[in-house]
Amino acid sequence: MRKWIKLAMRNIMRNKRRSFVTLIAIGVGFAAISLFRGYVSGMYEGLEHSAIRGEGLGHLTIYKAGWLEHGKSDPERYMFSKEEIEKITKLAKKEDGVILATPQISLTGLVSNGTNSTIFVAQGVVPQDDRTIKGSWYDFRPIKGEGLHEKMPYGVEMAQDLAKYLNLTAGKDGVVMAPTLSGQMNAMDIVVSGVYDSGSDATNDKYMRFTFDFAQSLYDTQRAERMVVLLKETKNTWKMRRLLLDKLAGAGIQTEIKTWNELSLFYSKVRGMMDMMFLFIFCIVLVIVVMSTVNTMGTAVLERTREIGTLRALGLKRRGVSMLFALEGGLLGLLGSLGGVVLHVIVWAIIRAKAPTYTPPGISTPVPLRVDFIPGVLVVLVFCLILLSLAAAIIPARRAARQNIVDALGHV
Amino acid sequence: MSHSSTQAAAGGNDGNTGAAGHALIEMKHIGKDYRLGETVVHALAGVDLSIERREFVAIWGPSGSGKTTLLNLMGAVDEPTEGALSIGGRDVRSLSDNQRSELRNEMIGFIFQGFNLVPVLSALENVMLPLQIKGAGYNEAKNAALARLQEVGLEQFVHHRPYKMSGGQQQRVAVARALVNKPSLVIADEPTANLDSETARAIIALMRELNERDDVTFVFSTHDQRLLDRVKRLVRLEDGRIVDGGGRS
Repeated sequence: MRKWIKLAMRNIMRNKRRSFVTLIAIGVGFAAISLFRGYVSGMYEGLEHSAIRGEGLGHLTIYKAGWLEHGKSDPERYMFSKEEIEKITKLAKKEDGVILATPQISLTGLVSNGTNSTIFVAQGVVPQDDRTIKGSWYDFRPIKGEGLHEKMPYGVEMAQDLAKYLNLTAGKDGVVMAPTLSGQMNAMDIVVSGVYDSGSDATNDKYMRFTFDFAQSLYDTQRAERMVVLLKETKNTWKMRRLLLDKLAGAGIQTEIKTWNELSLFYSKVRGMMDMMFLFIFCIVLVIVVMSTVNTMGTAVLERTREIGTLRALGLKRRGVSMLFALEGGLLGLLGSLGGVVLHVIVWAIIRAKAPTYTPPGISTPVPLRVDFIPGVLVVLVFCLILLSLAAAIIPARRAARQNIVDALGHV
Repeated sequence: MSHSSTQAAAGGNDGNTGAAGHALIEMKHIGKDYRLGETVVHALAGVDLSIERREFVAIWGPSGSGKTTLLNLMGAVDEPTEGALSIGGRDVRSLSDNQRSELRNEMIGFIFQGFNLVPVLSALENVMLPLQIKGAGYNEAKNAALARLQEVGLEQFVHHRPYKMSGGQQQRVAVARALVNKPSLVIADEPTANLDSETARAIIALMRELNERDDVTFVFSTHDQRLLDRVKRLVRLEDGRIVDGGGRS
């Protein structure tokens, strides 16, 4: 086999310019796919972090069975009681991979600075648990002022555009109004303890965060809408969901559990779009690689017709001729891919060194452009492109092998 | 063996059989047609020819008489339209493409007018090629190729690529390549056509020497009078038919 690889290699080098152009096409195609894959991977990780930590979804959200369907019309019936909250917290915390389980409430209403009023959407969270869930997110999007604190029950966090509209800054007072569970309007004074960036233009003008106790008071209930569970490792999310479902059912609490990616619509939609774009780019590169290889090998077959005839006359079988040209195609794929790896590393290193930022659509502030270096993806891509080039060379290779020897020897 | 007694007559029966009791090449009522659009061209018709081992045979005749077609059939690179063809006692028409490839590799060496060396391989690698196709190991192929290149006087040029060699040197490489597998038969299509007189003479002498020393059968087409003067047997073709199979030494 070594001798045929050597011969294939020399044949590739025979027309350096043509081979170089093909290698460039394969290399650039490879780098386009691998860099985009690295970019998408970084984006998915960022979105995952944003959903779990930034949006505060945790890894799992436990609802009472029926909440998602009927919770809006009959909330009290489908909310967790105080005893259930304690039971769920205790059961969840028994599991090894669980960091915490914490109750939360969502509510909407009006917020006013005394002069202007506007709608808000708020989450009632346990401040200490929320700090654990947010973790390093606060480093990425710090709060101006203080965050929520148990010692300051009327303190709220307000999204930056909402605060701007109401002309409220940290330390200033306001009023929130919301319907209670029984349908009466309730109003409570608030103190803006901090202003934060929700990360999205769509939510920055309406989001607020209350302490869980404050939200319960405003809602006039002792119940919780949901329990958020934070895990040590994201990869255990789906396994833990099954486990908790069984355990809670065993404890007499019928629940439905959603994972963070099921709840984060933004994540799901962006992922769907990026996956589609990746497929699109992959298909374009696939066509370029196949066409370049077919063209190069087709021309090589034409130019070397007499040589093929000679090799056949010397006793090389048809499959030997096919193998020789397929090898050349495979080698083009290998060399082009290796060039692509080099190009990937160069671009990746430049991005790492320059750390450029950009503002994606719908996002309120610039985010760093991140391209992950994923050796596994590069290895898989190298194999993919070798196989692709090999497959692309098979058509001209078969044509070469099927040639009539006499015609081939007489080819001018 | 008296080659003057060999005939290209019907049946080719000259009583001179090969080691296995067969002529090396046996052609009976061979016809070869080519189709050019709607027209059928009869390149060979009713050819009966028998060639024994150790012969040194020239096929000659005017252009278009069917010389190359006849050589292609003898070299098992082409198939007759009609008739029976056996090489080394094997019925060529009954062989599969792979079997014919093996037959060519093991029994037949080719020398082409245009040398047909693989340009990306050195002289040594070109000569090693038939053995490597056969599946011989690197060292075995290399030693055999070196020995053949030495025989043709090219030991100083083993690592030269064809484009760095003269026409005569390239044809010597081609001769070495044709002989490296120790074939019973060498087919040469106009082997001296692209060579100057001196080189042509040297190549003819080399082929004749190998024919006599190694008992290799040479069959070639030529117009070259120098070569025709050295052959043991002449077969003259006209319009796809053998018109004169008488020999001369």
